[in-house]
Amino acid sequence: MLALEGMRVLDHGHVWAGPLLGRSLAYAGAEVIKIEPPGRASGVVMGGAVARAEVADDDPRRYHDYDRGKYGITLDLATEEGHELYLRLLAMSDIVVENFSAGVMEGLGLGYEALSAANPGIILASLSATGATPGPWRDLRTYGPSLAALYGIKGLLGYLDDPQPREDTADLDPTAAGHAMVAILAALEYRERSGLGQHIDMAQGEATLQRIAEPVFDYLLNGRVAGPQQNRYPGFAPHGVYRASGEDRWLSIVVRDDTEWAALVAAAESTAPELAEPRFATLAGRLAEQDDLDAAIEEWTVQHDAFELTQRLQAARVAAFPVMGPPDLLADDNHEALRRSGVVIGPRAQITVDQLYYGIPWKLTGSTGVIQGPSPIKGGDNDYVFGELMGIDPAERDALRDRGVI
Amino acid sequence: MAATTGSAERALEGLRVLELGDFISASYGAKLLADLGADVVKVEPPRGDSVRDHGPFADDEPHPERGGLHLFLNANKRSVTLDSTDTDGRDLLLRLAESADVVIHNIPPATLEERGLTYEAFSAANPQVVMVSVTVFGYDTPYRDWKGYALNATVASGISNRIGDQGRAPLWIPYCAADFQGGVHAAIATLLALQVRRKTGDGQHAWLSVVEVVGSYLGGSAVPGFVFSGQMRGRAGTHMDAFYPWQVTPVADGYFEVITMVDEQWQRFVELTGGGEWADDERLQARWQAWQWAEEFDQHWHPWMREHSKAELVELFAKERIAFQPVNTVEEVVHSDHLRDRDFWRTLDHPEAGEHLTLGPPYRLSRTPWELRRAAPLLGEHSAEVYIGELGLTRADYDGLAARGVVA
Repeated sequence: MLALEGMRVLDHGHVWAGPLLGRSLAYAGAEVIKIEPPGRASGVVMGGAVARAEVADDDPRRYHDYDRGKYGITLDLATEEGHELYLRLLAMSDIVVENFSAGVMEGLGLGYEALSAANPGIILASLSATGATPGPWRDLRTYGPSLAALYGIKGLLGYLDDPQPREDTADLDPTAAGHAMVAILAALEYRERSGLGQHIDMAQGEATLQRIAEPVFDYLLNGRVAGPQQNRYPGFAPHGVYRASGEDRWLSIVVRDDTEWAALVAAAESTAPELAEPRFATLAGRLAEQDDLDAAIEEWTVQHDAFELTQRLQAARVAAFPVMGPPDLLADDNHEALRRSGVVIGPRAQITVDQLYYGIPWKLTGSTGVIQGPSPIKGGDNDYVFGELMGIDPAERDALRDRGVI
Repeated sequence: MAATTGSAERALEGLRVLELGDFISASYGAKLLADLGADVVKVEPPRGDSVRDHGPFADDEPHPERGGLHLFLNANKRSVTLDSTDTDGRDLLLRLAESADVVIHNIPPATLEERGLTYEAFSAANPQVVMVSVTVFGYDTPYRDWKGYALNATVASGISNRIGDQGRAPLWIPYCAADFQGGVHAAIATLLALQVRRKTGDGQHAWLSVVEVVGSYLGGSAVPGFVFSGQMRGRAGTHMDAFYPWQVTPVADGYFEVITMVDEQWQRFVELTGGGEWADDERLQARWQAWQWAEEFDQHWHPWMREHSKAELVELFAKERIAFQPVNTVEEVVHSDHLRDRDFWRTLDHPEAGEHLTLGPPYRLSRTPWELRRAAPLLGEHSAEVYIGELGLTRADYDGLAARGVVA
């Protein structure tokens, strides 16, 4: 029994945030139909798992990371026929997901008013960058990384000795996608009671801003303007990533209180006498001398294997973990979630792609979800959707294809 | 249902949530539910959620009711205190669960077992209850009893391996982003389990590992690429090694995020800088590979960027519809005209912290708007209301428990 079994989603997602959201809905059991314009390939291709250049347009590995488990159709929404077909499909659907710039759906005559007129129960989730209401940033072009810069998030990521921020990995997109999923599921609760859908206007920047509430409050309360934080965090010391023995090996260590610190000092025993100095014994002392503290810890950690030291610290109830790269993740039992999609258990493995994927990030007893299949080939499910689902006969489908509608 | 401010309906009206959250993850998940109308009762240990000790505090003066992160995370919730290490406290908690739809927490599994607060215990009290556990290492991994904080979870997910400079320490995503992501997904798991309950009538246990949440988006996505290509990508520094341009670039008075995947934008940008033959370089046509020669290509336009201020570039790029954006500080964001026009910032009045600004909605639902109904609760502010008024304890029983410190 999957949570969203029986739900149908129209997914206009492109680049990353939108497709990720569709992916989560598919995990939860919804039938997610990815809609792309016919003909040319989408302007933007996020290959993710594979190097773009090596993968052809019709190779599902292209989008495998983001579109697995979805159906793929092509439909020209700018044509009258395409528009009409879309509204017919909409009448059979529950949720529409789009991350176009604000106003694009309205331009296609597919704003919320039009959609709800065709299907009052429809939930439209619009994940624009800066929101649908007027404001000077409304029409800006952005990508996740530049949006993170605009909303004050990127400026916090970097080293203490250099004001130049470092690149994130576009983590604004998944933060936005996760929030949108919450809003959609809440809207489903309301629809259950009222029969009514609604429009979710989400500014991805505003959703992601939530997680820097702490420095925002520090500014509001104290006028302090935070810069790059390296690996530090207010009120914790040590709170860092330290060099271990070997080539580019590192481990994280976090100590919150003096009990944890005493445990760390005991675990280090005689190998790091400097750590036992009284100036480090209290949190206030450690915070006051954090540069010295970090240097003293690294003198100790650099002599040890990151995994062995982690074991030793964890045995002493100190929070530590090695910095993991792909080979470590592959070898690690904690990441059982890594699976091979060649053994997809979903109902429609039209293509078998022997490729690793990362599993579903929540566990529900008996109803976690399912990877329904690999990514669709663009338009690969036109026959299923337009034929089986909508009842358009093969001759008419051919005619639509000839006219470039699908 | 008690009438409060606001006339619109609420998406999660009638949903009763018990939150046993400490610090960020479960607490943020419960906040998302509260802000959409759920009745969240935050069950705090007698000394309070540790976030109350964290700050930031005005003038850096600690006070358990005045911390900024507490005010943010716990608005819209009610607070009761309960000592769950005490048998009577445990019984009281299970009684509270009888009328709850959801129990959401981030207590380590071993601690829960020690206190007899497992899913089995909650489900015996209320078979329909949905229990959501969001812990750093999850419930079904070899590390489930290890100690971890957001930094440990971030590096364990695999993502830090890509952030920072080669040769220097890998970086986390600051201010506990991993815990917030854990909270978002705890809210997702809660609402999915409620969908299942609607169909089956049964509650269930849902659990999440913060490591896996972050891994499923970021850290883990590097693994398939590694398996496919055999290439291990290192830390990106200021230039992401995915396509060109995707970088943090110095300008006259700060930094800009320079990124575009659209060829026309890139061409318009090159023309702005004065153009040149360099831009016709064959290697620049395949921009997903061109990052390899970033240092060489950068030389042709970085000096132009350094000659211009953030404000000039903002105007220029907006006009030319180019997706490059300035690296703003939190100060610039708080004062942004756009967020003002969006009516983003909200004001709450708190008996101890006074009137204060806080962040507005992460999303706007047209029929059931996100809303702030009340400021963060004082520690145990709603104990009597909940234990006597709703659970039906007598005043004498309540006072007896309070005298022993089981409730307050």
